[in-house]
Amino acid sequence: MVLDLTMSMAILALMGALATIAGCLEDLESDVGSQSNPNSQVQLAPQMGFLHRIFNKAISGEPISNGLSAVTGGTVTTVLLSAKFYPLTAIVIGAFIAAIIYGIFATTSYAGRVASQTRFKQPLYMDIMRYTTPSIIGHNFIVNFCLVAIAYIQFEVLGYPFTIPFLALIWGISVGAIGSSVGDVHYGGEREFQNREFGCGLNTALSGRIVRKAESGLRNSIDNVWFCAKFGGPATGIGLGLTVFFSSWPTTLFGYTWKAIGVGVIIVAVMVVMNRLVEINVKNAYGPYKEEKNEPEVKA
Amino acid sequence: MVAIDPTLLNIILIGLSGTLICLAVHFIPVGGAPAAMAQATGIGTGTVELAAGSGLVGLITASYMYAYEPLADIPLVMAAGAMGSMVMLASTMLAGGFIYAYGVAVPFASAQVKKDPITGERQDIYVSKGTQGQGIPTICFVSGVVGAALGGAGGGLIYFVLMEIYKPLIAVASAVAVAGVFTMGVMYVNSVIPSYGVGGTIEGVHDPKFRRVVGKDVITSFFVSILCGVLAVLIAGGMV
Repeated sequence: MVLDLTMSMAILALMGALATIAGCLEDLESDVGSQSNPNSQVQLAPQMGFLHRIFNKAISGEPISNGLSAVTGGTVTTVLLSAKFYPLTAIVIGAFIAAIIYGIFATTSYAGRVASQTRFKQPLYMDIMRYTTPSIIGHNFIVNFCLVAIAYIQFEVLGYPFTIPFLALIWGISVGAIGSSVGDVHYGGEREFQNREFGCGLNTALSGRIVRKAESGLRNSIDNVWFCAKFGGPATGIGLGLTVFFSSWPTTLFGYTWKAIGVGVIIVAVMVVMNRLVEINVKNAYGPYKEEKNEPEVKA
Repeated sequence: MVAIDPTLLNIILIGLSGTLICLAVHFIPVGGAPAAMAQATGIGTGTVELAAGSGLVGLITASYMYAYEPLADIPLVMAAGAMGSMVMLASTMLAGGFIYAYGVAVPFASAQVKKDPITGERQDIYVSKGTQGQGIPTICFVSGVVGAALGGAGGGLIYFVLMEIYKPLIAVASAVAVAGVFTMGVMYVNSVIPSYGVGGTIEGVHDPKFRRVVGKDVITSFFVSILCGVLAVLIAGGMV
């Protein structure tokens, strides 16, 4: 379907907003359930003698588990749409069913992983499972809703050639890849290891020695998501929001031409410059780790 | 000029596009789990997840270009795929950089080179103790963008070739579905092959590992992708 420019930009802005919410909530879901790379530390901790009360699911890599969840939501939505359901209702029901299935995976995964650590005396806390699982399902529901809504808009309104489930699958894989690359660093690089000086880097020798005490009492995954919601989640949202917005913005404005491709390349060049500015900023702000020892070499 | 059989040409093009994707993965600074803990330079996730994630965004933009520009030729569809992938990976690296810079508070540093080949800045003094570097320095960012462009272009090329094969045989919606899923499959195959070569992590084009493994991986990928191409043509036999 060809829309006028104003309507196209409005649709694009809506997709960007949905993507930002999806990205943010995806990362927070991976923090509250402890998934992907940082979960290797949660898994390792009991082997180092650090028993903890953190949820430990890691159904699979984030892209695959989110892809599965989104494609389930997309498929149910498509079936309901063909049964003449109102689109919003279809998307909500599809997202909800996918989130429930995801919740089942989360519980079996948590129980299975902790059961495999019996020899390290890691207990399976039923209260953790009872009040963390609904949070996982809730976060995942919002992610599914946003991703299936993006897929619906792309298929029904913008006329993309791929179907809703396939588009949802692709966006599910992408949101997982971005969440795993961006927000997880805040969880794995900072939150799990707050018992060291801020900014000192993370020595490999610290592996598995995760922080187990919270601001009050013993730390659990709800404490982790509270912390990561301040930076890791929003940054992931910005990552996916930029991806969805800027991958379509050039063609929306300039049509399907080489000019649009050129504009896309310029956007990427601007991001390269921005990254360089951040690099300069942090190097000036924090300074080198081995300044005195290597100073003569710098002059040479 | 010697005329090449169209079927053979299609198989070779799929082989070449698979090879492009495999080559692309070597350019992307993948730090794996250590990078997610700021213990290694690069993006904190796995090779397959990142390469496929960015390649698939490229697939969406390439398919849209193919569907709505009747005159779209191979270079334009490949460029559209490259643009989508580049935007995805650049956005990811930029947002990830914010976390390294202001969430974990570590300066960006490569552990594989003493000076950044682009900016000329010293790297070794910024590497914190007990790590293999951290963050995404300029050389890694640029290398990643180039890799994403290659991967997206490769994905666009496979999609274009497959659509040209399937479109005359079945309904367009079905052709799109088969071509899309097959392209995704070829992307995953060619993202896995380099994982064995690079051992899960690579910093990009400046990493000594790049020169050591890229030749072997690319040759392997070419032959595996040719096999994928043969399968793509064979399944078309059932569509008539």
